[in-house]
Amino acid sequence: MRRAFLGEFEEIVLLVVAACPAEAYGVTIWEDLQQQTGRSITMSAVHATLYRLEEKGFLSSTMGGATAERGGRRKRFFTLTALGIRALNDVQEVRSRLWQAIPPGKFQLIGG
Amino acid sequence: MKKQPIPPRWADWLLEVFVAPPLREDVQGDLHEVFYKRTEQEGLSKARRAFIWAVLHYINPYFFKARQRTNQQSDYPSPSYLHPAMLRNYLTIALRTLAHNKAYSIINVIGLSIGLAAAMLIILYTKDEVSYDRFHANNPNLYRITSRDITPGDQKPSYNTNTGIFQGPKFTAGTPEIRSFVRFQSGQSDIRQGNEVKSQEMFSTDPEFFQLFSFPLLSGDPKSALSRPKSVVISEDMAEKQFGTTDALGKIMFIKTEEQFEPYTVTGVAVKCPQNSSIKFDVLLPITVSKEDIARSDNWFSFFLNTFVLVRPNANIKAVEATMNRIYQTDAKNTIVEMAKKFGIKSKTIYSLQPLTDMHLSTDLPVNNGLVDESRPTFSYILSGIALFVLLIACINFVNLTVARSLKRAKEIGVRKVVGGGRNQLIIQFLGESFLLCFVAFVLAIVLLLLVLPTFNQLANKALSFAYLLDVKLIAGYIGLFLVTGLLAGFYPAIVLSGFSPVQSLYSRFRFTGRNYLQRGLIVLQFSLASFLIVATLTINSQFNYLTTKSLGYDDRNLVAVNKSSLKHSEARLLKSELMKFPTIVDVAPKNRGFWGTVAKVNGEKQLSFAYETVDEMYLPLLKIPIQAGRNFSPDFPSDSTQSVLVNESFVKEAGWKNPIGQEVNFFAYETPERYKVIGVVKDYHYAALNQKIRPQLFTMKPKNDFGKVFVKIKPNTETESLRAIEQTFKKLFPINPYSYSFLDQDNLKKYESEAKWRQIMLFGAILTIFISCIGLLGLATLAAERRTKEIGIRKVLGASVSSIVQLLSSDFIRLVGFSFVLAFPAAYYAIDKWLENYPYRIEISAWTFALAALLAILIAFFTVSFQSIRAAMSNPAKSLRSE
Repeated sequence: MRRAFLGEFEEIVLLVVAACPAEAYGVTIWEDLQQQTGRSITMSAVHATLYRLEEKGFLSSTMGGATAERGGRRKRFFTLTALGIRALNDVQEVRSRLWQAIPPGKFQLIGG
Repeated sequence: MKKQPIPPRWADWLLEVFVAPPLREDVQGDLHEVFYKRTEQEGLSKARRAFIWAVLHYINPYFFKARQRTNQQSDYPSPSYLHPAMLRNYLTIALRTLAHNKAYSIINVIGLSIGLAAAMLIILYTKDEVSYDRFHANNPNLYRITSRDITPGDQKPSYNTNTGIFQGPKFTAGTPEIRSFVRFQSGQSDIRQGNEVKSQEMFSTDPEFFQLFSFPLLSGDPKSALSRPKSVVISEDMAEKQFGTTDALGKIMFIKTEEQFEPYTVTGVAVKCPQNSSIKFDVLLPITVSKEDIARSDNWFSFFLNTFVLVRPNANIKAVEATMNRIYQTDAKNTIVEMAKKFGIKSKTIYSLQPLTDMHLSTDLPVNNGLVDESRPTFSYILSGIALFVLLIACINFVNLTVARSLKRAKEIGVRKVVGGGRNQLIIQFLGESFLLCFVAFVLAIVLLLLVLPTFNQLANKALSFAYLLDVKLIAGYIGLFLVTGLLAGFYPAIVLSGFSPVQSLYSRFRFTGRNYLQRGLIVLQFSLASFLIVATLTINSQFNYLTTKSLGYDDRNLVAVNKSSLKHSEARLLKSELMKFPTIVDVAPKNRGFWGTVAKVNGEKQLSFAYETVDEMYLPLLKIPIQAGRNFSPDFPSDSTQSVLVNESFVKEAGWKNPIGQEVNFFAYETPERYKVIGVVKDYHYAALNQKIRPQLFTMKPKNDFGKVFVKIKPNTETESLRAIEQTFKKLFPINPYSYSFLDQDNLKKYESEAKWRQIMLFGAILTIFISCIGLLGLATLAAERRTKEIGIRKVLGASVSSIVQLLSSDFIRLVGFSFVLAFPAAYYAIDKWLENYPYRIEISAWTFALAALLAILIAFFTVSFQSIRAAMSNPAKSLRSE
């Protein structure tokens, strides 16, 4: 089976969904993302990424009940799948391995 | 309760269009939620702007496509649809389908190749048209001096493309921006070669000719070739004809000057003039202007040659024109006043410059007087229109047949989709197939093009060759044409076919739902184009027949016209008496050569311009032109030649005479004004071509005016001996004049050559469009019959007759063809009415034309369709019902 590749932005979106205390849906994810990264991000980019992650099997979604505040439209709540959790773990593992591989004293030179 | 603010409606609508249904609800919901929050925090207008901005980001294919929102990951990922293995598969399948469906492939290839060939031919033609005179290195600084006469009170100025002998030198001397000038005067003279005398068109020009224009010389010095009198530059063709070799430098040619042959030395041999040149010369002489002419100021007013000038680069043309007009107003000041007094000229002449490259297609300032190949942009437009018609119809065939045939391919498409073929992959595959077909057609089209080029050249009066095709722009144009055709033909079917649902196509028998409006629409469009062209062809045809068979008001049968320049009245009498000795010759009448026109005063002050004929008393009886009132010239009245004239009915009308006989015509513009009495009125006859109105015409016998040709009436069916007699007599009497003859009725037919050409071009166009439409219809009918074989079988078993089945299969198509007339006929009526407006003598558009066109189209369509239907209806039902 092909290892699904995780892009940088995709990874952050996954982490935001994972970190969300309440149920995560489009608007909350978008607001958290802007807050955490300090970037301005368009809503469409968030949506596209969420759906793509869902297609890749890292997220699953369910439609919530109808709400009053958005013209009676339902929200789509996203949660991480097992595959999503594993993908985040894999990425994390690779990173920490690399961090540990940095020789001590090198960062002073680079100016860390 | 205050009203809930809402986001901009149109943006919301846009969102609904661009976001596929499975995603729509939550995307919209999220955006709306943000909008309400924003409205509370930052106000409505900001929120609206932000909403619109956010919506615009959803315009992208990702959201547009309906996605299968599954959480499955395929374990067998598809290769990319451009994978080499896939490409090989497409090609195999494409070739296989083309080979399996021979009829379909042949129809499409034939149609497309004819369409492409037509389009290529017209691109070639149009390119040639716009490339005229562009090969001169001095472009864009080459101009022709033109002028317009503006008469106060008249709406339209009258344009002159010619100038006299003064404009070139005087404007050049007085305008620093004009570097040099070349006058170009056409004339006809005789060349002697041994004992042979041939009449030859020659041009007189200024020595700078070869510096202004890029006509390379094979031999001779371009700077000085024309600087000495009695020198001559000839073309390579002329050198071959005259000396049998192009190495003719320094050789002597005898050219008739002032009534005797003078030796001219060849100082240059020029390369043949290009096909796309308005100047085409065989013999060039240095121009000679006499001292008297330079002294005569009224030469400002005689226009008879073309003058070209070379302007400094980046000169302001408007300023140059202003300077030219200033020079004219000061230099010709006295003459202008004098001419106005003498002739009552009220108009004012304004000079301007016309770029050399604009001449060929100019409508106001055409090429003439020695410049050749006059053309009009309309020719290119009409031809392009026809070519587009043909190509469009071929593409329509392709679309129709592909979509109709796709039912058979539904299974293939279903299977492809089930095993993981995406829509893109299918689109690429079908487009590829259409391009493959197009490519085959394209190669065929080039072959076709080469085959028809000679015929087309004859029709369009061109000398286009294959060498023309080797031009970067043209090749780019052709490749563009190929791509556009491939897309035009393949795009729609590709979209439709790739959209099939695999379940439907594999599980049940696939059917198109709804009434195939596209196919019907396209058939209607095809036949509208075809019937439009049929009507146009029929009309041009009947107008042409009308022009060539209409009575001209005189009898032009068995009339031989013999030309002889400056034929004295005494010589004419001698020629006549000699000719009358032969038994086959009925009578002889001399006449002036060409079309003369002049002005005279009638009723005191009224000026009238008219055609001016010099004839003798035999002219009218010989041509059987009746006298309406008064009498013809007669030898019994010796004063006729000095005091009498005949006029035609139009002249009488224009002059406003109640009783024309005895009225006076005053030729006031002569040195000593001459007055004539009208002794007779001649019935109007068409002395010019039928595309010109009959203008006032006057006949005189004035001995001072030389004749220029002789009409010889011969007995019917005695052409051979009569011509021999005429030639012998002519050569005996005028040994140093070239002898040439023509039959008047053939000359008259030649006037309608352009109509004849258009008739043929239209006919070809119509035949092509009909042919391509019909093969398309044939293909569709075949498919329709195949689809209904079972139905037909059952009907036959239940006792339907063959004719009722033919009717069943054909009626649909025929109805569509009938409907196409509704579209085509109004457009055709408008177009041919516009075209016929050019003719003062024209046919009236009759309902018969349309009825005949309709009948033709219906019949052709019916034959095409019934051919298939009959085959289907005759087939054995046992065969078609055996399976299942």
